[in-house]
Amino acid sequence: MNDDIRRYLDDEIGLDDLGGNARDEAEAWERLLAAFRAEAADAPPPPWLEERVMAEIRGLPEPRALARALGWLVRPLSIRVPPLAAGVAVAAVAAVLLWSGRGPTPTDVPEGSPTVVYVQFELKAPGARSVAVGGDFDGWSGTNALEDPDGDGVWTGRVAVQPGLHAYMFLVDGSDWVTDPEANHYADDGFGNRNAVLAVAAPAT
Amino acid sequence: MAPPAERTDAQVVRDVLDGDRDAYRMLVRRYGSVLHAHALRMAGSEDEAGDLVQQAFVKGYRKLASCRDPERVGAWLFRILANLARDHVRSPRRKDISLQALPEIPAAPDGPEDEAARAEVRQRLRRALDRLTPEQQEAFVLKHVEGRSYEEIAAVMDLSVAALKMRVHRAREALQGLLREFA
Repeated sequence: MNDDIRRYLDDEIGLDDLGGNARDEAEAWERLLAAFRAEAADAPPPPWLEERVMAEIRGLPEPRALARALGWLVRPLSIRVPPLAAGVAVAAVAAVLLWSGRGPTPTDVPEGSPTVVYVQFELKAPGARSVAVGGDFDGWSGTNALEDPDGDGVWTGRVAVQPGLHAYMFLVDGSDWVTDPEANHYADDGFGNRNAVLAVAAPAT
Repeated sequence: MAPPAERTDAQVVRDVLDGDRDAYRMLVRRYGSVLHAHALRMAGSEDEAGDLVQQAFVKGYRKLASCRDPERVGAWLFRILANLARDHVRSPRRKDISLQALPEIPAAPDGPEDEAARAEVRQRLRRALDRLTPEQQEAFVLKHVEGRSYEEIAAVMDLSVAALKMRVHRAREALQGLLREFA
């Protein structure tokens, strides 16, 4: 397929932009695609759909109760970690996740608060009007704004999180959730999206 | 409070999350047709499509608390369905039955010979579509059968627009070759 036909089928150029042979080929493609559309299966949803869905969900816990139960299972521990135990926790996390040095960087343990670690997040998003980070550490509120003071398209910011494993994503322009392309690890969110996963080791105090 | 049919998607989601389980029925009514149309085009069988849509709505209910943009819960449900349909097309068992389970097309007003020819064309198109990879099939159906924009499809398939265009291009080339083979 020549490049003009490809561009035509991708709506980048119109039929009038094509020359003789290419125009004939484009029209042949239109006939073929029209055949696919005409022969595509189409039918209303089955009449039983609504009642079967409602019958099935009646036997389920309410969605918030489900989320609370799951959240309890995965919520990171926030207990104060003594030095020896902290070392064990770091080793355990490292053994599971094989920290590679990419992704957000836990830094700057605040004094007197060994259960919180500041994590530096960074996303390259040239042209974005705003970038924030959200995750299970803030209820996916997306209110932790990153900044790009020099306008180079690299947005950064620090967020306090507790030690543990955290799923997170970036919120670009207030509406688009974007997976961190530089994350160390990812987890399926169950809907075909990948959440980035951050491992924060308990500080050794 | 607005009658159920006038409540926005975000209000319906909030109602469900606040414990009004029956409010979920409104989402099934609003988005059942769109989800079913896509499921049918991917699966090729009304029975399988109905099951997929039921699964998608039940999964959507279970995960509703994690829907990050309730105003766009329809797009969110569509994405759940699209993932289920893609997995379904991948399953090896399904390839064996899809040709026997072609949905019926209403009889044409012309004679029985025309109808036989239409059925033959329909079967060749379906066979060609079934020979694509599940990812190519999904991209092609969303773009050229359902007429969705590349930006919209990219969000559903979690791809860049450039990668998606390449996938659709490969699907068209594969279809061209397959239809020549079936001619």
